[in-house]
Amino acid sequence: MSTDLSYIDAIVESLGKEQRYVIPILQSIQKRYNYLPEDALRRVCELTEITPAQIVGVASFYAQFRFKPAGKHLIKVCVGTACHVKGSEQVFDALKRALNLKGNADTTDSGSYTVEKVNCLGCCTLAPVVQIDSITYGHVTTGQVGNLIRDFEEQKDTTGKKRFRNAEGEEIEGEIRIGLGSCCVASGSEEIRKAVLDSIERNNLNVKLKHVGCVGMCHQVPLVEIVPLNREPFLYSKVQAADVEQIISKHFQPKGFLRKTGFRLLNLLDTFLDDSRWEGIQRYALDTREKHVSSFLGKQKPIATEFRGQINPVDMEEYRERGGFTALQKYILNGDPSRIIDELKRSGIRGRGGAGFPTGKKWELVAARKSDRKYVICNGDEGDPGAFMDRMLLESYPYRIIEGIIIAGYATGADEGFFYIRAEYPLAVSRVQTAIDRCYEEGYLGENILGTGFRFNLSIYQGAGAFVCGEETALIASIEGNRGFPRIRPPFPADKGLWGKPTLVNNTETFAQIAYILRHQSDSFNSIGTSGSKGTKVFALAGKVARGGLIEVPMGITIREVVMEIGGGIANGRAFKAVQIGGPSGGCVPSWLADTPIDYESLSEVGAMMGSGGLVVLDDTDCMVDIAKYFLSFTQNESCGKCTFCRIGTKRMLEILEKITEGNGQESDLETLEVLAEWTRKGSLCGLGKTAPNPVLSTLKYFREEYMAHINGTCPTGKCKDLIKYYITEDCIGCTLCAQSCPADAIAFKPLERHVIDTERCIKCDSCRQVCPENAVITR
Amino acid sequence: MIKIIVDNKEISVRPGIRVIDALRENGIEVPSMCYMTGIDHFTSCMVCLVRDGKTGNFYPSCSHMVEEGMVIISEDEEVRESRKIALELLLSEHVGDCEAPCQIACPAHMNIPLMNRLLAEGKFDEALRVVKQDIALPAVLGRICTAPCEGACRRRTIDEPVSICLLKRFAGDHDLAGDRKYLPFRESPKNKRVAVIGAGPAGLSAAYYLSVRGYDCEVYDRNRMPGGSLRKEVDAAVLPEEVLDAEIQVIRDLGVTFHQDIRVDAERFRELHGHFDAVLIAAGNHNDEYGKWGLNTVRTGLETSGDTFRIGDTGIFAVGSALRPTRLAIRALGQGKEVAFSIDQLLTGRQVTGEPFLFNSRFGKLAPEEFEEYLKESVPDARVAVSHNRGFSREEVIREAARCMHCDCRGIPDCKLRIYADQYGASQKRFGSDSRKLVGKQIQHDAVIFEPSKCIKCGICVRLTSAHKEEFGLTFIGRGFDVEVGVPFGESLKKGLRKVALKVADACPTGAISRKV
Repeated sequence: MSTDLSYIDAIVESLGKEQRYVIPILQSIQKRYNYLPEDALRRVCELTEITPAQIVGVASFYAQFRFKPAGKHLIKVCVGTACHVKGSEQVFDALKRALNLKGNADTTDSGSYTVEKVNCLGCCTLAPVVQIDSITYGHVTTGQVGNLIRDFEEQKDTTGKKRFRNAEGEEIEGEIRIGLGSCCVASGSEEIRKAVLDSIERNNLNVKLKHVGCVGMCHQVPLVEIVPLNREPFLYSKVQAADVEQIISKHFQPKGFLRKTGFRLLNLLDTFLDDSRWEGIQRYALDTREKHVSSFLGKQKPIATEFRGQINPVDMEEYRERGGFTALQKYILNGDPSRIIDELKRSGIRGRGGAGFPTGKKWELVAARKSDRKYVICNGDEGDPGAFMDRMLLESYPYRIIEGIIIAGYATGADEGFFYIRAEYPLAVSRVQTAIDRCYEEGYLGENILGTGFRFNLSIYQGAGAFVCGEETALIASIEGNRGFPRIRPPFPADKGLWGKPTLVNNTETFAQIAYILRHQSDSFNSIGTSGSKGTKVFALAGKVARGGLIEVPMGITIREVVMEIGGGIANGRAFKAVQIGGPSGGCVPSWLADTPIDYESLSEVGAMMGSGGLVVLDDTDCMVDIAKYFLSFTQNESCGKCTFCRIGTKRMLEILEKITEGNGQESDLETLEVLAEWTRKGSLCGLGKTAPNPVLSTLKYFREEYMAHINGTCPTGKCKDLIKYYITEDCIGCTLCAQSCPADAIAFKPLERHVIDTERCIKCDSCRQVCPENAVITR
Repeated sequence: MIKIIVDNKEISVRPGIRVIDALRENGIEVPSMCYMTGIDHFTSCMVCLVRDGKTGNFYPSCSHMVEEGMVIISEDEEVRESRKIALELLLSEHVGDCEAPCQIACPAHMNIPLMNRLLAEGKFDEALRVVKQDIALPAVLGRICTAPCEGACRRRTIDEPVSICLLKRFAGDHDLAGDRKYLPFRESPKNKRVAVIGAGPAGLSAAYYLSVRGYDCEVYDRNRMPGGSLRKEVDAAVLPEEVLDAEIQVIRDLGVTFHQDIRVDAERFRELHGHFDAVLIAAGNHNDEYGKWGLNTVRTGLETSGDTFRIGDTGIFAVGSALRPTRLAIRALGQGKEVAFSIDQLLTGRQVTGEPFLFNSRFGKLAPEEFEEYLKESVPDARVAVSHNRGFSREEVIREAARCMHCDCRGIPDCKLRIYADQYGASQKRFGSDSRKLVGKQIQHDAVIFEPSKCIKCGICVRLTSAHKEEFGLTFIGRGFDVEVGVPFGESLKKGLRKVALKVADACPTGAISRKV
């Protein structure tokens, strides 16, 4: 096979010939060819300093790269935590069946579709989620996958027909705000944006359409906020494109009618807040002062997410109007970097990436190093399943983060910074790039910042899909063009980081809080939280709560307050069982410890971890062994393979958990599991391996009886496929829906009779249970 | 020099060096497989873990520099456990045999694959020398052995086992037929005397190896002629007396004295015990008699301690049916060899531990997909037929020996994984998995052979080929548990290792890449 290689010559020419450009070169090749053709890689080696060993080593390390052509359309099945607990594995299996993909095949014979699992699409509240190219489907059931593909086939060619013109008038009647966070986009806000523009244009309204970032009410998306001039704003949730015309006409017509409607609809809220189904949901107006919603926002304290929903992410003016860049201005003109560090130290802020190292101290270490070059890196390599804080912050508040990074550069004496953002976050990449470009135009970046002579350059480096690159030494290896292998610290990056130079690496959320602290003085931050953990923390609240979404809460708030008050309790009247905090590095905290305050120390005391901020609520239908297996399979899959304990230890632990969930476990397996968990924790090279056993250790600690139940042959919650059988109870009304949805012909079609499942044929895809209107399908 | 505290002792070390080197320079052994000076550092194997005495945390000693005031625990139960677990994890994915299954099955532990290789090359004398390292009477055994080795032969899963026993017989017969029979090199005289009671297979074997070790050895036997059960219980048509006599003659030629027609009773025994530095009882199953000698017996025979064959802490040893009735001559022979080792330990003032059995990596049965891999170094031919009485001809021996699949590992002599596994008592089964990688053998390179299933992913070869600027070299492919080492773009090993093949083979800490020899 020969590929047209002139493109390779061109990208090498534009990107560079040094070894460090290997990942950007590979990304360009894949973008062009849809995979990495071998002759293209060989050509790169001919043209550059990159060796065959390096290019193959790097390309095969990162999940982003493919060595075989992908299908024309890419189906991504989110298997993040929230999707997992809502049955994404079965959705994935159903899709493979629907596309007739056997075994490990991931691409249809015709080359139309490639189906793959992704760790988190960041739409946890729509779980389970499937994305086909740019169209996102939420609340997918196994029975719907056929419709899903049909719908996509109809939709795929219909985009881009209409052109919209933005309505800008001298006299603005008001403003319409549309959420453009990932959840909103996924739930259809783009369609709504078009409908709004259409309506504005058709009705010749002088209304400004405004895009806002994530409001944090992801359970209500898509959101449309109507802000009539000099009147109370109204927030509509779960809006559909068809409703837009009506909503707009209500607000920009005589009032009176409006309030009445709003009131009536509010009373219906309780019924629909659990967002359990997406079909048939009408739009509902929400007044932000109303009880449920205000409690969703009430105990929260927006710092990283300050002005949420009020500012256009890429509009620098709006950021400036609300105090943006004043912190930078004040401290840079003041000319004493040490005052910044003093202020941060006083504020008590600790790194938001999970480990909680005091930020001021870290900055001080880098500042104290003497070196010709120093670097600042913003770690946005968020990869936890079920966590999308970084993505939301990057998409919604790029200027705030950039301001934090520039301040860090000034305080530490660095002159170059990098955003490390996952290539899977294209929206974040483009928003941040826009914001960086604006900052150069406005003199916040470049050779002579604000006329002070301070020089700082900032660029984006796109991560290629490796969770381990969230570990700072692996991240640095990746920027240098290597496999993302972490290395032992010391030396810490503050001493020897990027290209051997002192480097400050902070998490995105940490940078997002810097400007606030400096603008409002350290006391404003210091006064929030507990003695050891100051300020606020952003969490992605998902799972079995009534209201999920992105939240920013003061440190020290209890798990119970988050679940019950902010999250509105457990959905569908089920019982609260546990929360999983901290993703694959964290642990499961049982409901009886729900009064544990959320701060670094308290969480690690109960065997969990702040992590980067995933907070998944589990109810009594969730199997804790399955949860442990789920997280461990994630870390096992993401292990870089460098050190023995993580590479083999996690694999052996996973094998034991698989054995247990398949009903082949023995009591002695638990002892082996504990030994492996203990030594993987003690012996692994980096944080990934050291924390990988946490989900296992915490569930073993609090839910050992569930492990024992599996060993004795039953899964108490009926989640583990190999230990359950599907069964139809006497409640069956003979509606035949189950028989129609069964892909395995395991249910005979018998109208008005009680149906029966042939357990020999049953493939346990869960379709029948999902469609049954009488809850007559059970597992046992 | 800076001061650090290691295992509660303060030592001075050179500044700027790694902890592992500081410890080793001070005579503290630290195991390590992935650490190699002269190439980039890479923390991988984790068997060099030590504990920080201040924090209690473990860290790989290859990856930290010494610092003034460091407190290191380099050796205690927990540190040993950490290394043992790292080794056990590595062993759980290390698919390969150290010694071949036939050798492990052989009660005398003979190096069968090596014998086969030499026979296949027509090097019959060399083959005999290999045989005689473990079996004192190969021509005899070649006629009567029940050949447990052939039961374990991997070739069995493909067609029929290699005729190991007949190959060994050929080596023995070929020697006896020659003008100058092979006499092993005798260690310089130890000037110590050992009495062996009984001239059956166990006693003969012991006398042979004691003599090789430099002892003056005298055999006391109640029969008219030495040989014990070999002479009395085996049909002469199967084992002609002249073959037995010829091999016993070799033992005489080594300097062993035989006292025949002597019945050892309690008094005689006490006398021997008084006159000799050690006494070995190899006189068969006679519990009543041994009781009269004042020795403890259990139901099966004399009571000895563990693998040493020693009775209590005396200078008396026992082997063969004296311990437990056996009809398996090869087992008696094997014990005769092993007890010579124990007696040597005692008489040279060392602790008596018995002959050590090194750790062996094993993976069980061959999968059908692996037949082809194993046949790469063998021939597909069927077993060479022979009537048992005649034995193989020279041509037949060469053909049959070529059927051996060489299941033993070439990396044995310097395999760190094996050495440490042995040192730390690691078990390959502790974290064993139900699924294993398939064995593959890449043999097309002239100088080295590559068996990826044995690779422990230490990356030394990757770093070496990169440091020496191989055009293709070796690289990590994939990541995590599934990571493999290979030549980029699926190029051949020949292309991958143009410059440093032997360097790589010598540096590989296990048998994944080894010299072909």
